[in-house]
Amino acid sequence: MIYLDSAATTLQKPPAVAAAAAGAIRGMTTPGRGGHRWAMAAARTAFDCRELAAELFGVHDPDQVVFTFNATHALNLAIRSLVRPGDTVVISGWEHNAVTRPLHAIGDVTVKTAAGPLFDREAALAAFARLIGPEVSAVITTHVSNVFGFVLPVEDIAALCRARGVPLIVDASQSAGCLPVSLEGWGAAFVAMPGHKGLYGPQGTGLLLCAAQTRPLLCGGTGSLSLQQEMPDFLPDRLEAGTHNMPGIAGLLEGLRFVRERGPERIRAREDALLDQMAAGLARLEGAEVFRAPDPSAQAGVLSFRVAGRDCEELGQALSERGVAVRAGLHCAPLAHRSAGTLDTGTVRASVSAFTARTDVQRFLQEMGRLL
Amino acid sequence: MLYYLFQCRSLTYAQRTAAALERSGITAHILRSPKSIAGEGCSHSVKVSQRSLTAALQVLHRVGLDPKKIFITAGDGSYREVLM
Repeated sequence: MIYLDSAATTLQKPPAVAAAAAGAIRGMTTPGRGGHRWAMAAARTAFDCRELAAELFGVHDPDQVVFTFNATHALNLAIRSLVRPGDTVVISGWEHNAVTRPLHAIGDVTVKTAAGPLFDREAALAAFARLIGPEVSAVITTHVSNVFGFVLPVEDIAALCRARGVPLIVDASQSAGCLPVSLEGWGAAFVAMPGHKGLYGPQGTGLLLCAAQTRPLLCGGTGSLSLQQEMPDFLPDRLEAGTHNMPGIAGLLEGLRFVRERGPERIRAREDALLDQMAAGLARLEGAEVFRAPDPSAQAGVLSFRVAGRDCEELGQALSERGVAVRAGLHCAPLAHRSAGTLDTGTVRASVSAFTARTDVQRFLQEMGRLL
Repeated sequence: MLYYLFQCRSLTYAQRTAAALERSGITAHILRSPKSIAGEGCSHSVKVSQRSLTAALQVLHRVGLDPKKIFITAGDGSYREVLM
């Protein structure tokens, strides 16, 4: 199988990830639940994971690194912490349903969309500048579009938010592990990310980096302040009710170590080269429309395309039957497709990781050539 | 042997405390706080030897991790709070 769906979940992981997850099942219980060796082994692993995440993502204290089930869970926590009914929120035109659905669920939230053409970072920034006014409670932007790989100008959007005193939530689902991500550098209120994509951890893991007051989604045991019926007012306990996913966290720690050793810049450079190869090959196919940024620095890890007269889901299925895994359709991001003008057709999305080889892309292009 | 317990608000705080002390060459162990000092319920403490107290407090103050409360073991196995 040629795997080109890393924007959903990286399938190939460093071998240490599965070994650590298996080791946690055999030899760890839960941090803070007992002082015995298995609970303390879990505590050490969880702390090492928080410390390394803090180091990689510009977080001052490991306490500010909260374990979640995935990026969606992290975004829900961040959004519920900042947004109330009646509020006004500005979002980018490239958001996933993990942002738009929680906003919809809160109800009576005015959502303003900072729209602009695909891969146009200046237009995106100008749109945010137009919309961020004193009535805005929060700004939410993805760092990299999960559909098109469009790299939003997060540093500039963050500077705008700081200047206007509006809290910022960044969805780093597609950027963590391959682009610079810094909670403190951006001055963001929250940064959310999954563990199972570019951090090479197991599914069921995610991180929320916190620099603002938080509101729990779940209440329950934390191994602290047990006599008190309110959730603790300190992190990470405030947002981590219940037993931790220690196999996931142990695996995520190994994924983070891999990212630190390999280096996000090196991973990005390799992925860029693969996107170049893929885009050039697809562009030679008759009827193919490839969404490639004119400036390659405005795109990361993900390439969408569609073919005139071909249903994207059928094309995705045909590729699957030929041993190539891609993702077709709307990618849980109808807003992004609306912004790009692809809502009616959807796209086929090919996405890469540190483990994707040039030969994988060659084989994908060969199969595409046979299909068209 | 007499030793001190630095009571911490959370396990992660206790881990940060112990890590800061270890980085400065002070031996520190994390343990569940004894029920008699846990106050509002479960908590974690960092145990340091009697002779390390002054140095430990200096290190923790420098890194902004001042303990919530400090207890010393008494000869009968009970704990007495040390006022800072």
